[in-house]
Amino acid sequence: MTTAQHPGSHASADDPRVTLDEQIGVFEPIPPYPPRTEREAEFYTLGDGEMFINIGPQHPSTHGVLRVVLKIRGEQVVDLDPVLGYLHRGVEKLCENADYHQAICYTDPLEYVSSLFMEWAPVIAFEKLLDVQVPRRAEYIRVLTGELNRVMSHIMFVGWMALDLGGLTPILWGFIERDEIVEMLAGVTGQRMLFNYYRIGGVNGDLNHDFMSRLGRWMSHATSQLEAELALLNENEIFVRRMRGLGVVDSETALRMCLSGPNLRATGVPFDVRRAHPYSVYPELDFDVVTRAEGDCLARYLLRMDEIRQSIRIIDQCLHEMPDGPVIAKLPRLLRPRPGRAYAAVEGPRGQYATYAISDGTDQPFRMRIHDPSFVNLQTVGLVMPGNLVADTMAVMASLDPIMGGVDK
Amino acid sequence: MTAAVGRTWSRLTLAGRAVFIGVPILVALLVPLVLVITLFGGTIVDVLAANLPIVRFAVAATAVLLMSVPTAFVIIYMEMKVIALMNLRLGPDRVGPWGTLLSVVHGLKVLVKEDFTPTGVDSTVFTWAPVVVYLASVMSLLVIPFAPGLFGQDLNLGLLYFFAIGGLSVVGLLMAGWSSFNKYSLLGGLRSAAQVVSYEIPLTLSVVGLILLAGTMSLNQIVLMQSGSFLDWNVFRQPLGALIFFIAATAEANRTPFDLTEADSEIVAGFATEYSGMRFGFFFFAEYVNVFIISALTVTLFFGGWTAPFDWPWPVHAAIDPGSLGIGLLIALAVVPVIGTLVLAAPFWIARSSMPWWQAIVIGFVLFNLLVIVAVAGWAFISLDWVAGLFWFLAKTYGFVFTFVWMRGTLPRVRIDQLMAFAWKWLLPASLLNLFVTAAAIVVVGR
Amino acid sequence: MDRALRRRLDGRFSDVLTGPIRQRHDETEMRIGPADVAQVMRALHDEPEFRFKFLADLCGVDTGRVMQVVYHVGSDTSPDWIRVIADGLPRDDPRVPSVTFLWKGAEWQEREAYDMFGIIFEGNRDLRRIYMPPDYTSFPLRKDFFLADDASRSPAMGVRHLEQVHAPRNAAPDDVVRQATSS
Repeated sequence: MTTAQHPGSHASADDPRVTLDEQIGVFEPIPPYPPRTEREAEFYTLGDGEMFINIGPQHPSTHGVLRVVLKIRGEQVVDLDPVLGYLHRGVEKLCENADYHQAICYTDPLEYVSSLFMEWAPVIAFEKLLDVQVPRRAEYIRVLTGELNRVMSHIMFVGWMALDLGGLTPILWGFIERDEIVEMLAGVTGQRMLFNYYRIGGVNGDLNHDFMSRLGRWMSHATSQLEAELALLNENEIFVRRMRGLGVVDSETALRMCLSGPNLRATGVPFDVRRAHPYSVYPELDFDVVTRAEGDCLARYLLRMDEIRQSIRIIDQCLHEMPDGPVIAKLPRLLRPRPGRAYAAVEGPRGQYATYAISDGTDQPFRMRIHDPSFVNLQTVGLVMPGNLVADTMAVMASLDPIMGGVDK
Repeated sequence: MTAAVGRTWSRLTLAGRAVFIGVPILVALLVPLVLVITLFGGTIVDVLAANLPIVRFAVAATAVLLMSVPTAFVIIYMEMKVIALMNLRLGPDRVGPWGTLLSVVHGLKVLVKEDFTPTGVDSTVFTWAPVVVYLASVMSLLVIPFAPGLFGQDLNLGLLYFFAIGGLSVVGLLMAGWSSFNKYSLLGGLRSAAQVVSYEIPLTLSVVGLILLAGTMSLNQIVLMQSGSFLDWNVFRQPLGALIFFIAATAEANRTPFDLTEADSEIVAGFATEYSGMRFGFFFFAEYVNVFIISALTVTLFFGGWTAPFDWPWPVHAAIDPGSLGIGLLIALAVVPVIGTLVLAAPFWIARSSMPWWQAIVIGFVLFNLLVIVAVAGWAFISLDWVAGLFWFLAKTYGFVFTFVWMRGTLPRVRIDQLMAFAWKWLLPASLLNLFVTAAAIVVVGR
Repeated sequence: MDRALRRRLDGRFSDVLTGPIRQRHDETEMRIGPADVAQVMRALHDEPEFRFKFLADLCGVDTGRVMQVVYHVGSDTSPDWIRVIADGLPRDDPRVPSVTFLWKGAEWQEREAYDMFGIIFEGNRDLRRIYMPPDYTSFPLRKDFFLADDASRSPAMGVRHLEQVHAPRNAAPDDVVRQATSS
């Protein structure tokens, strides 16, 4: 199994059967093929005094395996090109080859921080295809667990953001809060991270005593403890100075960039799927759609903090108004919806999670499109970064809060 | 013949082999040594005595080198443990009592790791950069007065020497960044160059007012000037200078919130990205030695150095003359440990009936030893100036080291433009203001 | 279901619709030809009676016979999502105008649809593969794609598979060098 020696090359030190050029140690970000588009040609042409720096796919602050090629002049970012696909698993294709119940399991790990929302959207879409009436208790349980998951996700956002700015402490404090929520969700769903709790027609199992006692303990101190912990960042001059006025997106641009969720509301657009296209029992619940006008990183951060407060409000109402009854509708094991199409969107902590499902009458979805907000939101980095500094790339990316599992699908 | 030797050799144990090889070597070394000492001993002593400053320098440099690594270990452990407690974690608690040996294990780990030189680096510069950085840190320790009489060199230009040698470390960082053939390293090196050069100016200017007050640049003289109570400390004469010095020194040592040169969320590890093994270890230790040095210098310049913050209100005389006890001394040496051990062991043996007698005696022995150590340390503190001085110096210095660790646990990192703007727009004018006010006050009031 | 919206759409787009407007749950579905996409989307986006400013989703669909591009848009004028289906793209050369002139954020979603279905969005400035390696030749979400075969045939320029450290048995030396150097 030896190969002929290529002229000008030598055997690799790791494996003598592999021949290498002398230049093996050099990583060139410029791709080894002719540019495919004008944009690629433009990006990979260096101007005077510019250089490429390759951030990722293995890098401490890319929230997963994102690779961003930065074109920099000194410390200043001239342009950047995110390269995706390092985590691509072809989930849409997998879902087409699975039946309706299995498809939900595939969508779940896409969003490993707020996985309940990633299963909520396909569940609603399939229920629309099947015309199922979900029991009201199941809807309340979904809202309750979903809002808990939102709180948990936003807490993690704070930690990651602080970590990307060099603060070590908030992420560990955040993990303590997150752990309480994760433990209580594990008490009802059985898993700590990928809950896989929502089912077509309801939820998998009723709330239990473990969950309720943990939830009660958490609710008693949640607000005060969060305020105390957030003071470490909110009242930190260095943090506020770095975030204010950074990565500003105005409302027109935000809509043009298809931003959704907190990133959109931080620009002043009061668009919330829970209000604009109501689903579940959200019309019956009382909460505010918080907006902020500034559209910078600080606004995105503060808006998420406000959302945590709103979520705690919703959880409180859910606990008071939760009706009795079954938690899952009676459905056959094998689901064969009539041919049709359904689109369902839910408002997650990162934006609009959506599923577009096409049924052809068999027990497998004919086409299942998974829309992930992280994927769409991440484009905005390329829009707002030029002119800012290298260090701000991490701050802006962190403030958009992408989860690479969702971006790469 | 050879077969017999081989057979004999193979029958030896490991210890026997070591003795078999070691004893001849020892003899071969000892005989010439004894000969040299008997023949030229007087001459050698004369030469050494004639060149006492050189000998002193060599000894001081060795001592400083030897103490730098344990200092780094202590600070590393402190950082791990303190930040862990701030993060509501446990921190290291497995290696040694309360995890105290973990930083030593870190040091060993760094030693045994592969020392990798990547393709494409400028290997000479790449190899020497950690040496430069580490030596620059360690050499600064030479002028710091740890206690009365306990310092490497008492230079009249001590402060100037300190800034000159401390400024060398940026050369090492730049060497590392430039030679690593890595863009992260390059950015880190250039950042450190910009940062250190910018902060060098307010750092130096902030102490000029102090130099005007003290009339000397010798660190020993500056410490002596502050002796008395804590009200005589320079921080009360130069509060602005002290603040500027502290901030600028933080930036000089690349500590949070000014740790842009190794900002791990931006440029991975900055100049140290391509380093591994002990070469990385040198950077790692140099950072913590730097923390010690800037804390020590802050203490020396502004917080009274080794002087006690207040006079001991009750004069204590621990002048024990062992000779007056006569034969009683011998009896005491023989009897007191036994009695002490037994007395300290008795309560444990009585209180816990399940405890075997020998365990109680072991506990009593350990307790007695601790007691003796405390007594001897207390005696030394009272009757030896340098012990008391060292105690106060280290207490204050580690207080500042704790402050640096605290800052690391609390603050995020500033951005490079904010960093430079802060140096040039705020610290530099403030230090100039401090200088002018001090000079004016000296002209108007006199020293 | 927003009946008024249906009437408005019927009135405004009667000339471009290729099928009846369907409504189910909170979705309103209209089908148009690929050539009319730019015009219809601009009308939906700009005209004050629609103001569908929010592009919720853009995706491709392979029905097995033809290709479709499906747009979901939302608005503050109606509680319904509008689903615009650009229908009848030929499978051998699917082309549709890009909507990046209205929504710049559609760029990556169009890239994804191109990557997965091979649908060419005319006017997208950066239409290259987004998930799959650049020299990948097939389109995974098409109905005639079978997983293992196509994936293993692609040489994957720029990506050295972990399991493919050694040269394939029949590889030319040049291939090996290229794979190793471009890692």
